[in-house]
Amino acid sequence: MTKQYDPITIEIIQSSLQAAADEMFAALRHTAMSAIIYEVLDMGTGITDKNGELASSGAGIPGFVGVLDKTVKWVIEKFKKLGDIEPRDIFITNDPYNGGVTHLNDIVLVMPVFVDDEIVAWTANIAHWNDVGGMVPGSMSTNATEIFQEGLILAGIKIFSRGKPIQSVFDILTANCRMPDFLTGDLWAGVASVRVGEHRILEITNKYGKDVFLHAVEEYMNYGEQVSLRALKRVPKGKYSLVEEQDKGPAYKVAIEIRDDEFIIDLCGSPDQDKGPFNMSRDEAVTACQMAFKGVTSPDKVVNGGTFRPLKVLTRPGSVFDPIYPAAQGIYYEITIRLYDLIVRCLAQHMPDRLPAGSFASVCGTLFGGTHPDTDRQYAVIEPELGGWGGSSHSDGNSGQFSAAHGETYNCPAEVAEARYGVTVDYLSFHDDEGGAGLHRGGKGVRIDYRIKSDNAWLTVAYTRSRIPPWPLEGGCQGSLNYVLIIRASGPIERYSVVSGLMLNKDDIIRVMTGTGAGWGNPMQRNLELVKEDLKNGFITEEQANRYYGLEKRASNA
Amino acid sequence: MLRVATDIGGTFTDLVYITAGGKVGTAKSHTTTGQFEKGVMDVIKASHITPKEFISFIHGTTIVINTIIEMKGAKVALLTTEGFRDILEIGRGNRPDFFNLEYPKPKPFVPRYLRREVPERISFKGIESKPLDLSDLPAILDDFCAEGVEAIAISFINSYANSAHEEAALSKVKELWPEVSVVASYQITREWREYERTNTAVLSAYVQPIAHRYLDRLNNCLSEAGMRCTPYIMQSNCGVDTLKSARQIPITMIESGPASGVWGAAALGRLIGELNAIALDIGGTTAKCGLITNGEVKLNSNYMVAHNETSAGYPVMVSVVDLVEIGNGGGSIAWVDEFQRLHVGPQSAGAVPGPVSYGAGGMETTTTDANLVLGRINPNYFCGGTQIADMAAVYKELDKLAAILSSSQREVARGIIRIANNSMVNAIKLISVNRGHDPRDFTLIAFGGGGGMHACALAKELGIKKVVIPSLSAVFSAWGMLLSDLRRDYLQTQIVELSGAEAAAQINQALILLEEHAIQEFASENIERSQILFLRYGRCRYQNQEHFVEIALPDGAITSGQINAIIERFHTKYEREYTYRLEASAELVCYHLVALIEVDKLKPEKHPRTGRKLIAAINGKREVDYVEAGIHQATIYNGDVLEPGMSFIGPAIIEESGTTVVIPPGLPCQVDDFGNYCIQTA
Repeated sequence: MTKQYDPITIEIIQSSLQAAADEMFAALRHTAMSAIIYEVLDMGTGITDKNGELASSGAGIPGFVGVLDKTVKWVIEKFKKLGDIEPRDIFITNDPYNGGVTHLNDIVLVMPVFVDDEIVAWTANIAHWNDVGGMVPGSMSTNATEIFQEGLILAGIKIFSRGKPIQSVFDILTANCRMPDFLTGDLWAGVASVRVGEHRILEITNKYGKDVFLHAVEEYMNYGEQVSLRALKRVPKGKYSLVEEQDKGPAYKVAIEIRDDEFIIDLCGSPDQDKGPFNMSRDEAVTACQMAFKGVTSPDKVVNGGTFRPLKVLTRPGSVFDPIYPAAQGIYYEITIRLYDLIVRCLAQHMPDRLPAGSFASVCGTLFGGTHPDTDRQYAVIEPELGGWGGSSHSDGNSGQFSAAHGETYNCPAEVAEARYGVTVDYLSFHDDEGGAGLHRGGKGVRIDYRIKSDNAWLTVAYTRSRIPPWPLEGGCQGSLNYVLIIRASGPIERYSVVSGLMLNKDDIIRVMTGTGAGWGNPMQRNLELVKEDLKNGFITEEQANRYYGLEKRASNA
Repeated sequence: MLRVATDIGGTFTDLVYITAGGKVGTAKSHTTTGQFEKGVMDVIKASHITPKEFISFIHGTTIVINTIIEMKGAKVALLTTEGFRDILEIGRGNRPDFFNLEYPKPKPFVPRYLRREVPERISFKGIESKPLDLSDLPAILDDFCAEGVEAIAISFINSYANSAHEEAALSKVKELWPEVSVVASYQITREWREYERTNTAVLSAYVQPIAHRYLDRLNNCLSEAGMRCTPYIMQSNCGVDTLKSARQIPITMIESGPASGVWGAAALGRLIGELNAIALDIGGTTAKCGLITNGEVKLNSNYMVAHNETSAGYPVMVSVVDLVEIGNGGGSIAWVDEFQRLHVGPQSAGAVPGPVSYGAGGMETTTTDANLVLGRINPNYFCGGTQIADMAAVYKELDKLAAILSSSQREVARGIIRIANNSMVNAIKLISVNRGHDPRDFTLIAFGGGGGMHACALAKELGIKKVVIPSLSAVFSAWGMLLSDLRRDYLQTQIVELSGAEAAAQINQALILLEEHAIQEFASENIERSQILFLRYGRCRYQNQEHFVEIALPDGAITSGQINAIIERFHTKYEREYTYRLEASAELVCYHLVALIEVDKLKPEKHPRTGRKLIAAINGKREVDYVEAGIHQATIYNGDVLEPGMSFIGPAIIEESGTTVVIPPGLPCQVDDFGNYCIQTA
C-alpha cells in the first residue's frame, strides 16, 4: 500500500524550499564584498534533491537558474566512494570542464544536507569573483586561447571538511588572486549562504520527517514538469530552423522541433570551437536553452528540475557550444546571450504574436580599472550595460534594461561610481543612434561617458551585435549597434567592440553605446498620436518622423 | 480634555481617544475616498466627541501612497543636470520577472519632454566643477506653464555632497513662478544614488499639491469645529510632525499607518518589559511585520513603492520603518490553480464585496470565511455583532473548492488557514532570521483585525515563547500614534575612513553642521534648542563593501580615542547581522541624525480591577477547530468584561467587537495590568 501524504503539508514544504533558496540568496547578497555580487547580482542560489535535480532556485538572474544542479550532479559523480562526502563538507568548483558550467570567475560552492547519515538534499550557490588570477586583471581576457590563461582552476575540490575550513586550499586561493581581501569576503559570504540553506532544510525534515520531505521534493519536480507540459500545449508545434550570421566568424545554426511533450534544440550544425574565449561548455549551452525554453513557454517563477524534463539539447563536441578541453571560455556569457537570442529569433519569425523583436542582446561586459586619483588604490569596474529591447505585438520595447540574461541586476549609480572609482560620469542617458522604428518601436539604447582621471588605466570589452543589428519582426526596422568609443584627451576617436587591456590616460573618455531594440510591425501603421508624442519627447527627430512614420503625409491625409 | 488619534485605512477610518481621566473610546467609520477629511469628521461625530475638547490631535493617512498607486497626482516636471535627462526613465535596469520577455517596465512619473537639463556640475567631493547656468530657466518654466505643469522637482548629480546648485535653482524657480509647487531633492534627503533621490523628489512633487489641499481642508474643518491644538501628522519614521512641516515634504507620510503600528508595539513593549518583539499587523488585505530590538524600531531609507515579483517599483529615499509586507489578510482569496493546488492571496476581496460571509455578493472564499467555518470566529457575533454572517453562502462557495480538490469542506478550510499561516511564518523569518535574529528570542505582539486569530499558531511554529495581543488591538495603529514624539531624520552621505584623529575631526564637523541645520529649522518653528534631543548614528561598512550596519555614535565631541570603540561596535554589530567579521578597515558612509521633541503624549495607565469573577466573562462554549491542534470545546470569553489579573487556559476564544483571539488547548492566557492578553506559547 502506498503511503498517503497530506497535500497541504506537501505544498507547505515546497513553499518553504522556495523560501529557503530566497533566504540563501539574501544571505549571500547581504554579506558579499564585491559590487559584482551584491549590486550587479551576478550570483545565484539553489537547493537540489539528493540526486542533484534542481528543487528550488533563488537566482537573481535567469542565466544562473539552471547552473547549480549540474555542479551538484558532477560532485556526486566525482565523490561517489562511500565516505568521500561527509556531513558539513563544502565543495568548490569553477571549472566548466568539471561541473563549473560557466567560466573560471564564477565560483560554485555546494554542500550536502545529511539526515541520519543519508544525504537528503544539497544547497549550492554561484557568484562572480572579481579576480581569480590569469593573464589579465579581472581574469577574463579576449586574447586567451587556453583555459589556463583565465585563472586558477578549482576542478571540484573539498574546501571544508566536516565543517572545518581546509586552510591550505584557502592559502592557494588567496595566493593566486589579485584581490585576496575581496576573495576572502566573497568566499565567506558563499559559505554563510550554503549553511543557511542546510539549516532550513534540517528544520523542515525535523518537523515533518525525512520521508515526507523527500516525497514533497519529488512531487514538486512532477509539478514543475506538469507546468511545462501544460504550457507546451499552447505553443505552435512544428520544426523550425535558422542560420544566423555573426559579427565575426562562421554563422550559427539552430534547428528546433516542438512536439506535444518535447522541445528539442539541435545545435549540432554549429561552427567549430573558437580559438579564443568565445566558447561555452555543453552544460552552459543547456542552461541557455533552458532559459529560452522557459521564456517561450511559461515565464512564471515555478522552476525546478521537472520544468526542464521536456527539453532535449543536442550539441557537437568540438563546437562553439561544446568545446574540447582546454579551450578558453572566459567570454562564455556573450555566447549564452547569442544562443538565447538565436533560439528566440528562430521561433519569433513563426510566432510573432507571442515573441518580441530582437533586443540589443549583449551583456556588453565592460571591465576597466586603474588607480583612484585620490587614494592611489587600485579599482576595477566589472559591469554589464543597459540597452534597448525590441517592440512586440502589443507594446513598444523597454528602454535602458539589462539583457535577457539578467534579472534583478542593478546598474551602478553615477554618484556611487564617481566616489568609488574616482572616474567622472559625464553622461548617462539615451542616445540618438538611429534604429528601431515600428508599429511598436524598439526601446532606446543608452550612452554612458566615463572620464578617466588618472594615467595607466585599462579597458576590456567584449560586445556582440556590434556589426549585425537587432532583428525586426513583421515589417519593423532593425535596431542599432553596441560599441565603445574612446575619445582621447588629445582628440582622436577610436571604436571598439572587442578589446583587451586597452591603455587609457587621464581625461580619455570611454563612451559606451548600447543598441536600441528592433521595431515590430510597419512604422507607417504606428498611431499618429504616438508618433507625435515620440517627436515631442525627442525619441525621434522631425526628419525621422517623416521618413519612417510618414507623419506629415499621413497627418494631411487624415 | 481629549487626546485623539485618527488613522485612515483602505476600508475604515479609525479613531481612538483618551480622556484626562484615562477613559478610552474608539470608533470606526467608512473611509471616504476623494474627501478623506469627511471620514475624519464622521468618525469624530461617531465618537460623540468635539474638536473643542482636543488637547492633542494626531492624524495618519494613506493619501500619499494612494495618490501614487492610483496615479492621481499632479503633472510634474523635472530639472536635472545636463547629461542626465533620462536617469528617471532608466532607473536601475532591473527586471524581477526575469523569464518574462515582455516585462512591463514601470513608467516614469515625468515624461521625457518635461525632463529638462540645466548646465551645472558638482563633483562627488562637493566641489563645483561647472557653474550653474540658469539663463534658460525662464524659457523652460514658460514651457512647463504652457504644458499645464503643476509641480516641479529639482534633482542634480552629487547634490548630496553640496546642495548649493539645487538651492539656487529652487529659489530662482520660486522667484520666477511663485505659484508653482516645487521641491528640490536636498530638502528630502542627502543620500547618494541619483535615480533614487531623483525619483523621491519627483514623487514628492507629484503628491505635494494633493497633500496640501487635503491637509488644508482637514485643518480648516477641524478649526471650524473649534479645535485649538496644533495638529500633528504621523510620519513613516515612527514619529509625528507638525501639519505645517508635513505639508512641506508630504512624501515622508508614505507609510504612516504601518509605522504607528510598529511604533505602538515598541512603546507597549517598553511599558510591559518586552524590549525584543516582533510586531505583526494583520489587516484585511495584507500582513505586515516589523522587528523591535532593545525597545527600538529599525528604519530604512530604501523604501520601494509597488516593488514585487513582477515589477521593479519606485524607490522613495526617506526614513521608513523596516517592514516586510505580504498579501495575506482576512480578506485574502483562496483559489485553486490549474494543477489542483490551493493558494491564498494575494488578491483580496477588499471591503466590497468583501468575504463571502458578508453576504454582499462576494463569491470567493477568504481566510475570514475559513475562520468562520472552523468555529474560530463566531458567526453570531460577526464584526462585533453588527453583521450577520451568511454561512449558507460560505458553505456553498467552500463546497466548490472542496469538489475541485476532492476534499472535505473542513479540510479545505484548514488548508486555507495553514497556507495563510505558512506565508506569515515566512514573512516573520524574513524580518528576523534574514536580518540575523532568532525569532525565539522575541515576543510576538500581534494586532489588527486578524492578529489575535493567527498569532498563537505562528508563535508555536517559530518557537516564540510569548504572544501579546494588545488591548485595543483592532485600532492599535491609531493608539500607537498617541505614544509618538515629534521626530525628524536627517541623513547625509559622506565617506570617512575610520582611523585616528582626522576621522574624529571629520565626524564632529559633519555632525555639528547637521545639528545646526536641524536647530535652525526648528527655531523657525519656535522650537528651542533645549527641547531637542539628538540621537546620532553612523552607517558603517567594511571599505568598499556596499552594505552597512547602523551604530550609535557617542554623545558630545568625539575624540580620536573613541574611534577604536566605534570600530569595535561596528565589528560586533556587523558580525551579529552577517555572521562573520573581517580584518578589513572600516569606513563610515552616512550620518543619521534623529531629532526628537517630546510632545504631550499619552502615558498609558493601568486598567482598574473591580474584583469581578472570571465566570462573569464566560459566554459559554463552542466547538472550535484549532487546525493542527485538533477540534476542541473552547470556552468563549467576552473580552470587554475581562480585566487585569484574570487568567485561564486554552482551548479558549476571546471575543471583542473588533477582534477575536484564538487560544489553542493547554496555553495559559493572562490579562495584564494594561488589559493586554499575554499568552505563553512555550
